[in-house]
Amino acid sequence: MKKFLLFFILYSIFLSVSVQAGEIVNVYNWSNYMPDDVIQQFEKETGINVNYTTYDSNETMYAKLKADPDAGYDVVVPSTYFIDRMRQQNMLQKLDKTKLPNFKNLNPDLLNKSYDLHNNYSIPYLWGTSAIVINDKYFAKGAVTSWADLWNSRLRDQLLLLDDTREVFSMALIVLGYSANDTNPDHIKQAYEKLKQILPNVKLFNDEAVQNIYIDEDVTIGMGWTGDIFQANQENSHVQYVYPKEGFVISMDNLAIPVGAQHVENAYKFINFLLRPDVAAKISMEIGYASPNLAALKLMPAEILHNQIIYPDSVTLRRGQFQTDVGSTDRIYEKYLELLKMGA
Amino acid sequence: MNRLGKFAYLTAVYLFFYFPIAVLIVYSFNNSQYSLIWHGFTFSWYQQLFADTDLQLVAVHSLLVGVLAATFATVLGTLTAVSLYRYQFYGRKLLHSLIFILIVSPDIVMGISLLILFSTLKITLGFWTLLLSHITFCMPFVSVTVYSRIIGLDKNIFEAAKDLGATDFTIFTRVIIPLLWPAILVGWLLSFTLSLDDVIISFFVTGPDFNILPLQIYSMVRLGVKPEVNALCSVMFGLTLLIVLASQLALRKKQ
Repeated sequence: MKKFLLFFILYSIFLSVSVQAGEIVNVYNWSNYMPDDVIQQFEKETGINVNYTTYDSNETMYAKLKADPDAGYDVVVPSTYFIDRMRQQNMLQKLDKTKLPNFKNLNPDLLNKSYDLHNNYSIPYLWGTSAIVINDKYFAKGAVTSWADLWNSRLRDQLLLLDDTREVFSMALIVLGYSANDTNPDHIKQAYEKLKQILPNVKLFNDEAVQNIYIDEDVTIGMGWTGDIFQANQENSHVQYVYPKEGFVISMDNLAIPVGAQHVENAYKFINFLLRPDVAAKISMEIGYASPNLAALKLMPAEILHNQIIYPDSVTLRRGQFQTDVGSTDRIYEKYLELLKMGA
Repeated sequence: MNRLGKFAYLTAVYLFFYFPIAVLIVYSFNNSQYSLIWHGFTFSWYQQLFADTDLQLVAVHSLLVGVLAATFATVLGTLTAVSLYRYQFYGRKLLHSLIFILIVSPDIVMGISLLILFSTLKITLGFWTLLLSHITFCMPFVSVTVYSRIIGLDKNIFEAAKDLGATDFTIFTRVIIPLLWPAILVGWLLSFTLSLDDVIISFFVTGPDFNILPLQIYSMVRLGVKPEVNALCSVMFGLTLLIVLASQLALRKKQ
């Protein structure tokens, strides 16, 4: 027992010393969002050690960085609207793109969007959409083509809505013809009224285990995110993804360097590595979200590129809207979501 | 009838305790990535688990912190309990009630206050801050466990030891420790478990270079439970079972 303890103590000292000695980069990413072998490949090629930790939501990551700005994270991966917020609150470093030669591989259509006009703070990592999910065993093709169809009284007690304030309200706002990023309180109130009408159709709100609910056909119609539905479709091919006529929300997760980063040079090396075509292709194919990297797309097999779940065609894509930060309007959204759930 | 009733009651209680764990273990062998319907038997999640070096490192981190925190907390907690019982000193009553306050104070309060303390002192978050925090929240539990055992002891034993010429140190090592041994072991196990499954405090006080299992599992589960997590939990459950059995055996030998 004593020897065992001694070993542990020595090991811990060794551990803390070895971490100080080598070159490192501290990466904070969504869980299940980067294949292990990508990290190992980077470590092998550069000799830089990656300390990889994960979070489950933008809010978690934001809270951690806000609570301790010197925590020492070198690379984080916020979604578009959180890039917007963190940039405005001076939580992110302005990027030096001369250190990112692979930046040229990115799809210009996905750059310079309103949440970060010149991509001075964020580098697209993966993107996806949220749209309608139907099981074609229960619904004929073409039976559901728009968000508005979900209000049909025949769907009583059948829908799954994502348990995500912005996603649910975006759907209602888009149906009403407003922007998914609307900050006008009147419009949000209208969206709330509209959502009250859909409640009898809602079977559950969920955002955690959407895949298995659709795979096991516990629910056969509702909303979903690209990656989840791609994975669900692999196990149950009846699960289909429909891009609604009125439009839909595009969400993108972006690599960024926080202000308190201590290994900035290594962070650049890491981001540049992720932008390399072969690496970006590998990540996208394994995770099931679309790659913003044009050079990577060329390396992917046709069946993935033509998979409508991941890569909607350009005509469809034009109906998409990027999510941006709604600032303090967030509270109004939250208030109405609470009211909505109380009525449910 | 009475016996049947007792049997049924006990079965219900045990089912209530262990059925969820049984389901978890069964599903760790399910041959499907997301589905919760049975698709056949497979070992592949265990193979994946043992090939996942990242997860292994995180598990080692957790065990390391668990063992160290439990050991330090047990030493400090036992000393506290013994001095609370044996000696009269200024602030003794206050110290006694402060221990209970630590036990009942919510994790979130403790997590945030520790974080504020560390960032005021400009200590980099990581292994050491995590270890200190775990020792902090484990120690009161050890004190209380040991204290509740020590007040059951016969005070005359200490007097007798003193009469026979034992110093305080000798009394501590030759009389108190052997008598308290079961409580100390229980305190250690309790601390180890608390440390191993703490999410809230650890979230605030750990740094980028030191991830631990509960945090990793929490973020994995939030974005879709993979059977790999089930496999991991099953292995951990097996490990806990072994530790409990070993400690039972050790106690039996002592007695």
